[in-house]
Amino acid sequence: MENYTKYKLKSNDELASVLADKDNLFIIACNKCFKEFETLEEPECGEFEKIAAENGKTVTGSARVDFLCNKIQTEKKLQDLIPEGTENVFVISCGLGIQTVADLAGKPVYAASNSLNYTGYHGMALTERKCDACAQCYLNITGGVCPIVDCSKSLVNGQCGGAKNGKCEVDSNKDCAWEKIYRRLEKQGRLEEFLNQPIQLRDYSKINFKFVNDYVKAIRADRLEGYYGGVHPSERKEFTEHLALKRFPDPEEVVIPLSMHAGAPANPVVQVGDTVKVGQKIGEAAAFISSPVHSSVSGTVVAIENHGHATRGECLSVVIRSDGKNTLHESVQPRKGLEELTPDEIVEIVKEAGIVGMGGAGFPTSVKLKPAKPVDTILLNGCECEPLLTADHRVLLEFADDVIYGLQAILKAVGAEKGVIVIEDNKPDAIQLMNEKTAGLDNIEVVTAKTKYPQGAEKMLIKRVTGRKVPSGGLPADVGCVVSNISTTKAIADAILKGMPLVERVVTVTGERIKNPGNYIVKIGTNTKDLIDYCGGVTGDDITIKAGGPMMGFVLSDVNVPIMKGSNGIIAVDTDHTVEQPCIKCGRCMDVCPMELSPLYFAKFADEQNWQGMKDKNVMDCIECRCCEYICASKIPLVTKIKAGKNAVRGMK
Amino acid sequence: MKITELFERGEFVVSAEVGPPKGFHVEHLLEEAKTYLSGITAVNVTDNQSSVMRLGSLAMCKALKDEGLTPIYQLTCRDRNRIALQSDLLSAAMFGIENLLLLTGDHTKLGDHPQAKPVFDLDSVSLIHAVKKLEEGVDLGGNELIGEAPKFAKGAVVSPCSDSVDAQLAKMERKVMAGADYFQTQAVFEPEKFIKFMEKAKQFGKPVQVGIIIPKSAGMAKFMNNNVAGIHVPDEMIEELKKDKEKTKAGITGVEIAARIIKECKPYCQGVHIMALGWESKVPELLKAAGI
Amino acid sequence: MLITELKARETINGLVEGKKVFIINCHGCKEVHFPEKEAGELQKELAAEGKVTGILTTDYICNQENMELRLQKHMSEIEAADVVLVFSCGVGVQTVAAYLEEKKVCAACDTCPLPGFQGVTPLEYKCDQCGECYLNLTGGICPITACSKSLVNGQCGGAKNGRCEVDSDMECGWERIYRRLEQIGRLDVLKCPTQVRNFATDEEV
Repeated sequence: MENYTKYKLKSNDELASVLADKDNLFIIACNKCFKEFETLEEPECGEFEKIAAENGKTVTGSARVDFLCNKIQTEKKLQDLIPEGTENVFVISCGLGIQTVADLAGKPVYAASNSLNYTGYHGMALTERKCDACAQCYLNITGGVCPIVDCSKSLVNGQCGGAKNGKCEVDSNKDCAWEKIYRRLEKQGRLEEFLNQPIQLRDYSKINFKFVNDYVKAIRADRLEGYYGGVHPSERKEFTEHLALKRFPDPEEVVIPLSMHAGAPANPVVQVGDTVKVGQKIGEAAAFISSPVHSSVSGTVVAIENHGHATRGECLSVVIRSDGKNTLHESVQPRKGLEELTPDEIVEIVKEAGIVGMGGAGFPTSVKLKPAKPVDTILLNGCECEPLLTADHRVLLEFADDVIYGLQAILKAVGAEKGVIVIEDNKPDAIQLMNEKTAGLDNIEVVTAKTKYPQGAEKMLIKRVTGRKVPSGGLPADVGCVVSNISTTKAIADAILKGMPLVERVVTVTGERIKNPGNYIVKIGTNTKDLIDYCGGVTGDDITIKAGGPMMGFVLSDVNVPIMKGSNGIIAVDTDHTVEQPCIKCGRCMDVCPMELSPLYFAKFADEQNWQGMKDKNVMDCIECRCCEYICASKIPLVTKIKAGKNAVRGMK
Repeated sequence: MKITELFERGEFVVSAEVGPPKGFHVEHLLEEAKTYLSGITAVNVTDNQSSVMRLGSLAMCKALKDEGLTPIYQLTCRDRNRIALQSDLLSAAMFGIENLLLLTGDHTKLGDHPQAKPVFDLDSVSLIHAVKKLEEGVDLGGNELIGEAPKFAKGAVVSPCSDSVDAQLAKMERKVMAGADYFQTQAVFEPEKFIKFMEKAKQFGKPVQVGIIIPKSAGMAKFMNNNVAGIHVPDEMIEELKKDKEKTKAGITGVEIAARIIKECKPYCQGVHIMALGWESKVPELLKAAGI
Repeated sequence: MLITELKARETINGLVEGKKVFIINCHGCKEVHFPEKEAGELQKELAAEGKVTGILTTDYICNQENMELRLQKHMSEIEAADVVLVFSCGVGVQTVAAYLEEKKVCAACDTCPLPGFQGVTPLEYKCDQCGECYLNLTGGICPITACSKSLVNGQCGGAKNGRCEVDSDMECGWERIYRRLEQIGRLDVLKCPTQVRNFATDEEV
């Protein structure tokens, strides 16, 4: 691998002269970036300490920090780091790290190293190709060989007379760039084109620093708004965001898994041959963290057997053949009005209706509604930050009243004062509608959040809206919040207003490889394959189908699995073929991790099976949002490694 | 003749400035210089002033010298790297040009070739250092010169009314350390500021010529206030200039103001440098009005 | 750190005039900047004119191995095109051009520098990698990047109201340095010897 080391220690003589009138030193070294991630410590640190000692200096302490230039994280790390009695801080890093510390330390800061020039900047993957960012790309006239970087004189009109045997006059190890360009153009038959080019004059004013500076300010504000980290994948919601909900035709047969939630699977309460009706309970909660399951059709139970499952491989499921009549079960009756219901009654209705978090995690909602600590704010997550998916967006637009009713029910159940509906700014129509609908309501507020993934993750949402930080290992209730999903909230309204348990949901079927994308109201237990076929199937081959969105969805190797309570989307996208490459310590994963973790260590420690190291780096705080994997230039399957680490850490207890 | 010799003799040194044209006919300019500037000590020749491309400073210096005037060769770091700068300094020595004013230079973006690559290989301080090395018979690369080493009067600039005068004084000190022999200042319109500045600057023991621009009009004064670094024309002066409306009287108020400033500053400095900006014809009457 | 800006429409038109085009979008550095909307609109227009043989939107095409793997799937579309138009920084274009050596590979973007090296959040600082760090003489503010002229011996006369003569939005680097040195009580470092830059340390590592 290329050596992209950006700095090296200054010479002994220079350091001795810098140290001459200084004592009581604290040393901060940056763990180098853009290099193969082998050691946790850099040799230069010890070397400098030795030089300091040789010069008879007192060292008050030292620290090694990753990505010193990451100002936000460095600021946190520097707190209380520099011991009293320190007079001077010496930094071993590139110029960025030194400037960052100089800005933050409040003490004289000195450079113990020089940054080295490897000509301009480079891309995120280590490559021998460089770009000088001249703002006037010449590659179009040079066959894709850069004359600015590859030619020692940065000539833009052709070869100088200095090349000897095809080598540069400045460095005889270097090929003459213009010979390379000539050969490349000759090969492509483009010599004529080159000769006819007008004379090139470089424009050194091209780089618009005003634009660059303004841009840097804007993007810093943008990236750091609300919460640290996060990413902006292409939204691609235009496939379905304007498509009204359609009812998916009744399936002839449904396969209803007894586990569509976190916690214990439900116990079946029907037998093969039983006749069931819509809304009838077919499985009952098996534990405190569990949930009942209901039939989504009327018909006959034909089997109770293991069946393919989107997230668990296999799961005991109730197979029901529909009679096509959709006869409602007797229990499906409107409940009392919200005014008359007590908080406990609301929780009971939610529990009996089998309502679980419909954003994917499937945590039983009734448990959330009985928080162990006082809660003042209910956050309704209308962010739908997953790219492609538009199910919640359509529910907001088409069932606005139900969503508000459901929120009022949660407010009453929990005894919270304020409900906040949070919607990302890529859904202006939903924001407008909800603002109109809640205009007369004192206890409900609509907040517009700048689109950024994973805004909808509980902890990010709470930070963004209330500024409160859920402690490591804690729950939203620890900071007085409960977060609920849009579809879940609508399901609560259905359970009270119609007495209908959770038997259907909105599913977005989309992706550039789905022929006719759409948003459908689908009965739980419908076969995913039928849903895809109904949408015209997929186009082309070498396609990946996922249950959920592109970020957190599960790959479906077999589409013969049922739609479940948490199935917010089915997507078909191009399969991405990549191979895992060594970590180059680019630091991007650390820059995007909304939990402010250091995912690069998880990859390294997982490969070394260093589970204690994983634990020490707070792997258990990871929310598996996949931002790190998305941004990784080396395509390291970080979340898989993190999951392995989490399992191992759980086993350590 | 080196103007440092005059300073040593305790003379009040007067210099003025000419800007070479964008073209190669300099007869008119020479005529003007001879008519209006022959009474003064030395004539500065600007080096692509304001980053606007013009005839070279060195050639113009030679032409002035041939006409019997004493040129001060202005040299900036914007357009030449250290090789070209040192080479031009040797050329100047060959022509017998002995007075230098060494500057960093305006940025290319401010001139008429904003696309040009700004060089700034050296800056004003390191350029002074380079001249000093040449005087010692070696170039910046450490190579010995052949034959006699050149000798110059090494001038530098400082901006006494700058809003960051402390940073300017620090830079002035660095220039002195590097070998500057004398200083010319940015135009002064606030003598009290200049006097305060000189109280601090006198510790360096180097002669200073106060910079003077004749304010041509209230509009020009306002323009300078908005656009020119280190210059601030006080409101009262602008009001005064506004009264100078009659065409026949044009410039009289400006000359009066400039003369007043010179008189106020004279006790505190060792000379005056006039940037006439096209009003070379008014230099004699200005000097007369200032009592020089 | 690099960012990309779309070239002028006429320039791109000149590249694709009467030609079939295969398009590659690189979203690797999108968190910093990518003209996604503008590029999308342009590509839609080209597609409507029937010029486009295929579009690959991917990331980190500077990562040669993965770029090659991902291009495999599109080789027939690339064959059918006269020009491969790459929307990426200069590194990406060069990587693709080296791989598709027989093909005309064109850049649809110009590349500009941003402060900071890695990560996705640009910094307010820059490092020019001069190889002779001056931060010890300047209180930790870089004179090479914080001063438009990269002066290493102090302020020029061009600052007005503390702003740079080149860009009035930019604070004069040397005023910042002076203030910082004053603040940390180290104005004495300004008495250091005259600094002459050594551009010969600009060696590649």
